[in-house]
Amino acid sequence: MRPALVLLVLAAAAFFAPGARAADRFNLPQGPGRDLVYGHCQTCHDLQSVEDSAGIRRGAWDAVLDNMKGFGLRISEDQRAKILNYLGTYLGPNPPPAEQAAAAAGAGPVEGVSVFEATCIACHQAEGEGKPGEFPPFAGNSDLFLSPDFPAVVALNGIEGPIMVGGEAFDNAMPPFDFLSDEEIAAVVNYVRSQWGNDALKPADMPALDAAAVAKVREKPMSAADVHDLRKTLLP
Amino acid sequence: MRTQSSRFGLNRRQFGLMAGAAGFAAGFSPGFVRSAFAQAAPDSAEIIAGKAPGLIVHNAELGVMETPLTMLRKFDHTPKDILFNRLHFPHKGDASWYATTAAPDQPDWSIRIDGLVERPRTVTLADLQAMDQVQRVAVMQCAGNGRSFYAAKEKVAGGQWKNGGMGNVVWEGVPLRQFLEDQKVVPAGGAHWLTAEGWDQPATPEGSDFAKSYELGDPGLDNAILALKMNGEPIPAVHGGPVRLIIPGFYGNMNVKFLTTLLYAADQSPSAFQSVGYRMPLGPVEPGQFEANDYTIYNSLPTYGHKIKSVIFSPLPDDGAKAGEVEITGVALNDGQAAITMVEVSADGGKTWMNADLKPAESPWAWYHWSSKATLASGSNVLMCRATDALGRTQPIDGLTRWNPRGYEWNGVDRVEITV
Repeated sequence: MRPALVLLVLAAAAFFAPGARAADRFNLPQGPGRDLVYGHCQTCHDLQSVEDSAGIRRGAWDAVLDNMKGFGLRISEDQRAKILNYLGTYLGPNPPPAEQAAAAAGAGPVEGVSVFEATCIACHQAEGEGKPGEFPPFAGNSDLFLSPDFPAVVALNGIEGPIMVGGEAFDNAMPPFDFLSDEEIAAVVNYVRSQWGNDALKPADMPALDAAAVAKVREKPMSAADVHDLRKTLLP
Repeated sequence: MRTQSSRFGLNRRQFGLMAGAAGFAAGFSPGFVRSAFAQAAPDSAEIIAGKAPGLIVHNAELGVMETPLTMLRKFDHTPKDILFNRLHFPHKGDASWYATTAAPDQPDWSIRIDGLVERPRTVTLADLQAMDQVQRVAVMQCAGNGRSFYAAKEKVAGGQWKNGGMGNVVWEGVPLRQFLEDQKVVPAGGAHWLTAEGWDQPATPEGSDFAKSYELGDPGLDNAILALKMNGEPIPAVHGGPVRLIIPGFYGNMNVKFLTTLLYAADQSPSAFQSVGYRMPLGPVEPGQFEANDYTIYNSLPTYGHKIKSVIFSPLPDDGAKAGEVEITGVALNDGQAAITMVEVSADGGKTWMNADLKPAESPWAWYHWSSKATLASGSNVLMCRATDALGRTQPIDGLTRWNPRGYEWNGVDRVEITV
């Protein structure tokens, strides 16, 4: 770990109770597209920017998204349309009542591919290839099978510190994605474990991850550094 | 830490130079980081080490915080622990060195002068420290200060600043024009703009680097300094040390933090922070007719000098003012181009006005203190104040006439409702 990062972590540890969760701070209204906002908008700023802008017109949100492109936001046209629809509807001047929004958000079964495209793709990339030095690939990554629930531990708590994956070094911090539901995390883990030839890495006796298993992981919050330590103990 | 961050600093500065020429950052990414330790609504003191608790946080990830007026009004020179702050990129990872009000530990810092010049130069921090220094007392104010007030017409996106995105600060440093002349860089004939860049870099490789450009002939630069000190000590890291370009009288974003590069160029920087962000439309615009993505360098201008403005510091609604005689106090400021000559105060919602007692300012760019006695009646009292300068410039009674989609440069007549 870089000395600067050590200091940062020490400073952070002094301020914040371990186990406290970042996602607790924000509570954007339920609605389709909400996960895309959580997945893409926190790369450069936290979601207070979104919360504090609640109530602006759809056209104004449209302009905000254009501006964010200039500041580095990279999303597909389809994702942009979904995000704009979410912001313009649920954070617009006349948002629907909360129950209606929750019903719209909960419509249909959870698809792992949707969670992946909404949340993971920004760093781990469309074909799960990752980015050299920064974001490890999913494709061919044996970490996915270190234990039945290890990917859920990482998704819920984040991971921080240098790691080697497939002979390549990565050193970065992944934030917790604990805003995802148990169902969503189970679905996306199972999806990632089945794509890009990963099924060949899967131990025969490892069952598919279910929401109940994710819920158990969620009951035991860890720091991102602890997840890094846990990984070491699981490595063969 | 010193060796490590210096090494990164050098890389970034070399890189920043290339990015300035190209206009956009590419290649360096501090990554996708968010503190794994964050909890519900962190306090200002937890976000930036050395900041006082209780500042109004607009964005923790970017260290954006505003000073409550109850704190701001206690000091003539705003101390570093309560001064508002705005960063443009997350202060994490390699950038964590500036998440503090302590002095930066960057002894190897240097400034590169490059672009359309015959003799590019690098000047070290030690060189700068050895040069003659001048003082500039100046209001530092976020261009978005007062943005929340535009919501009375139509809310605009972004941090909902009230009046506390400003402070009165003592800067010391090397006069810019003399410095550039002494360096004998010999600008080429085609050089028209000076672009300033800082060490900070966007969170993603695709993001626009922060850069600001000024016309070389801009009279604002006549008073600019390469500041090394703030309030008598090395500039706190979070406020842009070790070197910050200070252009007295200009809105905050024009005063580039962590200065590494001064670039002579034929055109202004294509950075989105120059070409699209932090701009004001040339004329009045209406919600829905002109959006935040409609800005071009042809229909808008950067947020240059502070629009003349005055703010009521007391009484504030929570001060427990009683009916009867009360002293209304506050500050006034402008771009320093002309002295503020008058502050008028109303205690009855603008029906009647009286001239406040206006104290001389410490410098053309410092804030002016003013006060006026008034009588509060039982019930609601709407206090208002309006400043006017020697050029006849004054504040609009209705600040909403200057509504703009990014919510900059609010300078409407300030209103405080006191119920006694």
